Formats: sequence, structure tokens, C-alpha cells
Amino acid sequence: MGKRLAGIFWSLLFLAVPVLGVATFAIAPAYDHWLPKDVSEHGASIDSLFYFILALTGVVFVVTEVLLFWFMWKYDAAKQQGGATYIQGSHTLEVVWTIIPAATLLFLAIYQMNAWADVKMRRPAMSPTVEVVARQFEWRLRYPGRDGTLGTADDLFLVNDLHLPIDEDVLVQLKSMDVLHSFFLPNVRIKQDAVPGMKIPVWFKAREAGEFDIVCAELCGWGHYKMKGRVTFEPRAAFDAWLERKYAEQGATQPPPEAADVAAAE
Amino acid sequence: MNTSSATLRSAVLLVLVTAVGCGKTPPASFRLNMVQATKTAAPESGMEKPWSSWARDRQGQVATILEAMYGTPDEPIALAETGLDLAKLQLAAGPVRSDIVGRKNGLYREHCSHCHGISGDGMGPTAAFLNPYPRDYRPGKFKFKGTWRDARPARDDLTRVLHEGVPGSSMPSFALLPPAQVDALVEYVRYLSMRGETELALYTYAEQELGVDDTMPTTKEFLVDEILTPIVEKWQGAEEAKIPVAAVPTNVDFTKSGDDPANQESVARGRVLFHGDGGCVKCHGVTALGDGQANDYDDWNKVIVEWSKEVAGGLGATQDDAGRSAWLHAAADVIEGDALRPRTIPPRNLRLGLYRGGRRPVDLYRRLYTGINGAPMPGVGPSGPGGKGSVADAEIWHIVNYIRSLPYEFDGELGADRPMVAKDRF
Repeated sequence: MGKRLAGIFWSLLFLAVPVLGVATFAIAPAYDHWLPKDVSEHGASIDSLFYFILALTGVVFVVTEVLLFWFMWKYDAAKQQGGATYIQGSHTLEVVWTIIPAATLLFLAIYQMNAWADVKMRRPAMSPTVEVVARQFEWRLRYPGRDGTLGTADDLFLVNDLHLPIDEDVLVQLKSMDVLHSFFLPNVRIKQDAVPGMKIPVWFKAREAGEFDIVCAELCGWGHYKMKGRVTFEPRAAFDAWLERKYAEQGATQPPPEAADVAAAE
Repeated sequence: MNTSSATLRSAVLLVLVTAVGCGKTPPASFRLNMVQATKTAAPESGMEKPWSSWARDRQGQVATILEAMYGTPDEPIALAETGLDLAKLQLAAGPVRSDIVGRKNGLYREHCSHCHGISGDGMGPTAAFLNPYPRDYRPGKFKFKGTWRDARPARDDLTRVLHEGVPGSSMPSFALLPPAQVDALVEYVRYLSMRGETELALYTYAEQELGVDDTMPTTKEFLVDEILTPIVEKWQGAEEAKIPVAAVPTNVDFTKSGDDPANQESVARGRVLFHGDGGCVKCHGVTALGDGQANDYDDWNKVIVEWSKEVAGGLGATQDDAGRSAWLHAAADVIEGDALRPRTIPPRNLRLGLYRGGRRPVDLYRRLYTGINGAPMPGVGPSGPGGKGSVADAEIWHIVNYIRSLPYEFDGELGADRPMVAKDRF
């Protein structure tokens, strides 16, 4: 009797894996633990790939786990008479379970090529909108200034607070000053390693204004957790006005009036 | 049955241990400034106790006073005389946690103590790997500020450093922290500074005024009026101690580059001052690559360098006096274990376009006017209100203009010896 109970316990425990696994995915969106809001132009193609692969692996996962449960339940040693039957193996079966996954993988590799090329290969012909230099533990930013060229006297230097225009291509020139970092913009489905010694172009088009996180997605040292930036997408006019404001701040020849003085003046 | 129930039992045990955990970390405590505590405790004649237990007694007295005046890293005290805001200190102090309304606490330990240390001594766990070393707040000296050289920094000076970080050092920007959190951290830095300065003042007093058998006085008159008040006055005076910033001369246009006709006259004048009255070439070199003298130390490191020499000299000589020998050996241990190995401070390479204290013209003006407190960089402006500097106030703007042109100078004009310019690097 004890052996039979143990058999039931283990079969049900293994059945709990697919049940809880599917349940986790089903309730996750309700707890806001699902994909972050996508505001990019190319993001939909990435997301649909994600959902497609999730559905594919999800079905295989459930079928495999249920089969596992069913075998444990049906062939429990406690209710079996006699030993197991030895078979030599099935050539046909092996060919089938090799060809199906291989064909699936090949299909995925071809199916995703266009999405990959959009994000990593079809670089828009333009000079960088901004240079982002990752550093332990911050994002140093450099805008090309009025002449549109980086490395000239009118560059605008900022830190952590990235602003970019919406509804047009932007090209980020990504560098690292020390170690590997990864420039991750979850809301535009962009993630690119920053490699010391390399200038890596990253491009996208945002379609919606708003403030979103920049996070470092590569463990870059003890202070990795504090390497958080902010990206603000805004219409071109607001972006230009912001640039002008920051440009004026960088040119300051007098200390800004103190908060107390400003309050008194108002 | 046996096997399966044993498996079940151990699984339950595993879950319990993971959930409950074992052991408890001891509460955080401030460390004494062992360098100063030992340096100022030279043995005197007529000591009855062995030096080490005598020195331990005195350190104990200082620790007790400091705890009574400033509390602990978990429970700071803000004496009314310090003018510190206890609510802000409590937000910054203690272990990292959220309070009952979900407000972040323990900000200093979350963001700062890893480098600056729990006592603000610039000796956190990562400090030894950084160059330059993190700031040691205890002497009350800060580099990047808009006040007179020897004055303490104003609140907005510290706020600005937290906001912008210090590019070229390991200090990152905290621009995205909510302003209330930055305020709390600024207040906590001022608190740690005042605490460190109080400790220093106590050691100095003990060295100069106390006899061998005297204990540190603990009266309010002594601790508050004699020790604390002068320290607090400096911090409170900082808000009023800002240097004047001269109006920009008409032949300077910072919205244009250095080689623009609008700036040519001014940049030429700046170059003359850089090589002449300003005295900049002495350290920054004629090429401005920072290749003038390069063997100097900043004040924080200089203390260790000079004291090490004294101690090594003392240990080299023959020792008759047991107290003196114990003191020197203790000093050698402190230099080895309680101080970071001194690093030189090279002059800045002005062609990198990297400005630690900020790149705005007003930032460069301030660096030139007062120099950099704690560093060998002298100021070209007057040393205090009403004084006279080596360069007239308005003329400083020409040096600023020249320095701003340096990263972009010589583009494609000179030969193999041409310094690397901004375009090459980017």
C-alpha cells in the first residue's frame, strides 16, 4: 500500500509541472509580469516571433510532461506484474524524432531572418543621432550638436537621461569605456552588447512618446544594479527644444540662480 | 514507505532552512580614524601603562564621545547645534529597506558605502581598486565646488556632483534619483564630514592640550562650544562663501568654437596666460597633455606618504624606549592595514575634453579661480574676498576659452608630434 501511495505522489508531482507551468503564463499578464509595452516600429515582428516560438515549445512541453505523467501512472511498479520488456530500439522512431525538431529549427532560422536583418543589418544611411558610452556604472551621452558631427567643439554632453525623437529613424553609436555592458531598451525591443574598443550602431524608430527605462543587461561589476538610465521619446519639436535647453545649460557662464532666489522672484 | 517518507522529510527541512536562514549580522558601527588616532598619540614621558593600552583608552574615550554626539550608522543623532536635518539623515542611514509607507531607506548603503565606506572614510570594499580613490569625507575637504578654496562646499555643490558624477573618476551620476533622495544623501555626507572633523579636532586637542594622565573632557562647554561650533560654522558659512564670477568679456563667445573668428583674440590671450601668468604649464605641460610634474600627491594621500616616511625613519633608528617602539610598530600596522596605499595625482591632460568638475564655462572658471582644494592645483584668482590673484578675474575667461579649444586644436595641421585631438579618438 505504501509503495502505491509513493507512486501516486510522484506521478501527481510531475503532473503539477505542466499544470503550474501553463498557469504561470496564464496569470502573468494579470500581475503585469508580461512583455513590457512596445512602442517601436519593428517590435511587433520580434514579439510575434516570441509568441510563435512560445506556442511551439509550449505545446511540446505540455505533451511531453503529460506523457511523462501518464507513463509514471500507468506503469507504476506497485501495480505491475512481471518485468519490463526489452526492445532493440526503433529505427523509424529515431529518424522521426530527429527530423521533426531539425526541420522545425531550420524553419525558425529561415523564418526569423527578415526580423533579424531589420534590427541588425539594414542600417539606415545617416550619421549618429547620439553616442551612448557605457561605463561602470552609468550611461554617458554625447549629441553631435548643431553641426551634426561628433567630435567637434559643439558636442552636447549628458549622462543617463537620453532623449530621442519619435516617428523617425534614430541611430545610436554604442561604445563602452571599460567592460562589457548591454544597452537594453525593453520598450523598443532593443538589446545590444557594448564592447570595449568597438563602435556598434543600433537603430530603431519609436512611435509613441513617453519615458522608459534603459537598463544594463550584462553583469558589468558590483554596481550593475545601479546602472539604470531613462529614455524619453518625444515629438521632434519637443526634442529640439530640449536639446536647445541642455545646450544653453552646458554653455552656462554664471551659476544658476539658487532655488530660494527663484522662489523669491516668483 | 521508508525511502519516500525520508525524502519528504528532507524536502520539508530544506524548505524550512532556506526560508528561515541562520545567523544574524551584527549592527553596523563607525570605524575610528586610525591614522589620526595613532599619529597624534605619540608616547610621552611618565606613562605608567604600556603605550598600547594607554592609546586604546584614549581611542575608547573618543569613540564614546562620537557615539554620544553622532549616534551609529543605524541610528544617527543630529545635535541641534549642527543644524543637520534628522529626518533626512534617517532616510540615508541604516540598512537598505523600505519603510511603512514604502519609502526607500538606507540610501547611503545602497549607493555610496561600497566605495566611500560606512564611516565616509573613502575605504569601502571597492576603494582599493579605484584610481583616484573615493573621497574621504572626514577632513571636510571637497574638490568641486563654487566656494572659496578653503571653504566647505555649499549644498548645491554636493548636489551637482551627485547629479553629474565625476567623469574620469569612478564616481557615477545619480541624476535619476528623486530629488528628496539626493537631498538626503547630501545631508548624510555633510553629517559624516562633520563627524570626521569632530574626531580630528578631538585628536588634535588631545595631542596639544592633554597630559598623559588626563582623560578627554566631556562637558557640553568643551564638546559643543570648543570642538563642534567652529566646525559647524564652516559648513553653515559655505552657503555664503561663493566666489564671485566675473562677467564674460565681449570678445569671448562660448557658443562658438575656439577657432571661430569671434574667439581668436581671446584664445590667443588665453594661450599667453596659460604659458605665462597663469603658471599652468608647470604641471599641465607646454603641450597641455598633463606631462609637467607628475609626482605630487593630493592632501589625503600626502598625510600617509609623509607619516610613512617618519615612521620608517623612526623604526630604522635604534629604540631604547619601549613606548616609542610600540607606537612606531602600531603606526606601521595602521599604514599597512587601515590606509590605502598612496597614489600620485597626475595633472589633467587638457586635450581629452574630460572635465571632472564639469565642462560648463562656469565650472572651468571656478576651477581656475580657486584651484582645487586638496589637490596641488592652485588658483589664479584671489585666495579670499578682497584679495588679488595672479590673473585678473575677467582675464580668467580667456584661459577658460583657451582650455575649451584644446581638445579640438591642431586638427590636421601638425606632423607626427601633433597631440591626439578629439576627432581621432571618437
